Amino acid sequence: MPGLISPAERDYILKGIECNIRADGRQRPDYREVILETGVVSQTSGSARVRIAGGSDVLVSVKAEIGSPSASQQFEGRGADDLNNELTQMMSRFLHHTKTTFTTPSSSSSQGSAGAGASTTAGSSSSTGGINLSKLCIIPGQQCWILYIDALVLDYGGNLMDAILMGTRAAIFDTQIPKTEVQDLGDGQFEFEVLDDAEDTDIVEGREDMPICVTLNKVGARHIVDASPLEELCTEAKLVVAVNRSGELCGLQKGNDGGIEPSLLLEMIQFGKTMGQTLIKQLDLKIKEEADSDLAKRQRGEPIQKLGFFAQ
Amino acid sequence: MSRVELLSPEGLRIDGRRPAELRKITSTTSVLSQADGSAYLEHGNTKVLAAVYGPREARHRALVIHDRAVLNVELNLAPFSTGERRRRNKNDKRLLEIAQFVKQTFEPVVITTLYPRSQIDIYFQVIQHDGGTLQACINAATLALIDAGIAMTDYVCACTAGWVEREAAIDLNYTEESADTSEMTIAMLPKSSKITLMQMESRLHVDKLDEVIALAGEGCKQIHEVLDKTVRDRAEDLARKMAV
Repeated sequence: MPGLISPAERDYILKGIECNIRADGRQRPDYREVILETGVVSQTSGSARVRIAGGSDVLVSVKAEIGSPSASQQFEGRGADDLNNELTQMMSRFLHHTKTTFTTPSSSSSQGSAGAGASTTAGSSSSTGGINLSKLCIIPGQQCWILYIDALVLDYGGNLMDAILMGTRAAIFDTQIPKTEVQDLGDGQFEFEVLDDAEDTDIVEGREDMPICVTLNKVGARHIVDASPLEELCTEAKLVVAVNRSGELCGLQKGNDGGIEPSLLLEMIQFGKTMGQTLIKQLDLKIKEEADSDLAKRQRGEPIQKLGFFAQ
Repeated sequence: MSRVELLSPEGLRIDGRRPAELRKITSTTSVLSQADGSAYLEHGNTKVLAAVYGPREARHRALVIHDRAVLNVELNLAPFSTGERRRRNKNDKRLLEIAQFVKQTFEPVVITTLYPRSQIDIYFQVIQHDGGTLQACINAATLALIDAGIAMTDYVCACTAGWVEREAAIDLNYTEESADTSEMTIAMLPKSSKITLMQMESRLHVDKLDEVIALAGEGCKQIHEVLDKTVRDRAEDLARKMAV
């Protein structure tokens, strides 16, 4: 990432933002064009590529694999090393209770009452939003689906967090998990079989409630969304607001060195919330459109052509 | 162990290709904004992204060679690129080896003496792996280096060929690669038909060697046409945009 900015350049950006016109012609609350495509990597359970016009390019994949609930599961971020930690932490926080609910099946087995454990997690995750992880449980305490989310940052053009969360949401929407059939052998022994039907799969429950985030950058006395790399360098303080489709705040994180006045903070949160909701609506519409057209093509037996990197 | 039938009685391969048929190659250049040159290339389901940075000041002083540039090649395999999710260490021997092959392939072709005391970085990101990673990387690197405007004496085109059951076959996919077939990767300079890389890890009867090399060479020439078209299309597109 470019880490240097000249005083003249900084001044130009600061004054521009003050006058509500940014270096690329946008106004303060304007988002750049977002290119979103799902199902781009065929070897994954779900994938999405998000490109914010003029830069940031993120490929997110979701891979569902069977493992034991005690295996360390986490959201992994990949890219620059410092980003790695920040992202992993933030995502596990934003995506809500994921860490705790993933481990619940094992803790419930130690209690000896699997049913109770599962119902409490279902309650906690559905009330707070995010993925319903108890549905990913195959045999309580023994086997579960683990969703590995890998975000690959291919290109940097500012506002990575937003792009990654948008991509994650879209990839989760695209995810298909094979159905399983569990057989009770008695004596607390279970056996399961993964059904091989590509047509008949489960979706990730609770995917509609997955949050996205809006990063607000405080530049001077104003705040902007979707900052370009140079604007990010002028940012005094940034605020990441994670919000789900019903407008619930799922996470807040302040970054950079500068401070934010309480009154401005409230305004920024409010703005981030509305912005996030509008974005989610638009994204969901696009995802649905794409899924519908893919389905229609599949039914007609036409090949589905993904643009991938040929979309510019 | 049940063996997969790699060649049907009609002489078709597991993915329906004929033995001397390449997978569909699609490619484009200038996909990344931050890199000096970049390319994206697909060989069927193998998808590779290459980024070239430089020539730029060498990172470490120890790397500096006073009369020419050094090439630095790094390869990264996305954790989701293979059938089973696996996170690879950056120092994975296999990846380092492939990177080394690419480096050796390009060292004689890039005119490094034009850029003394500098470094040229080539980074690869394998997004999807379906056999032929090395050939895809070399072909993508050629495009990315051209996109970066780095002087080279010729294109470098790579192609694999192997002996599948009873016939020489070109451009092996993952299933064929992993079924104990002998596979050879060749990188060729199409104008002079010189070979800059020849790599094989399994055994092959010497009588069959000529046929396999000839087939791979033929593939290199076909790949050259595709790469050349990508470069020319891109140049035409740029020229058109400049004229406006």
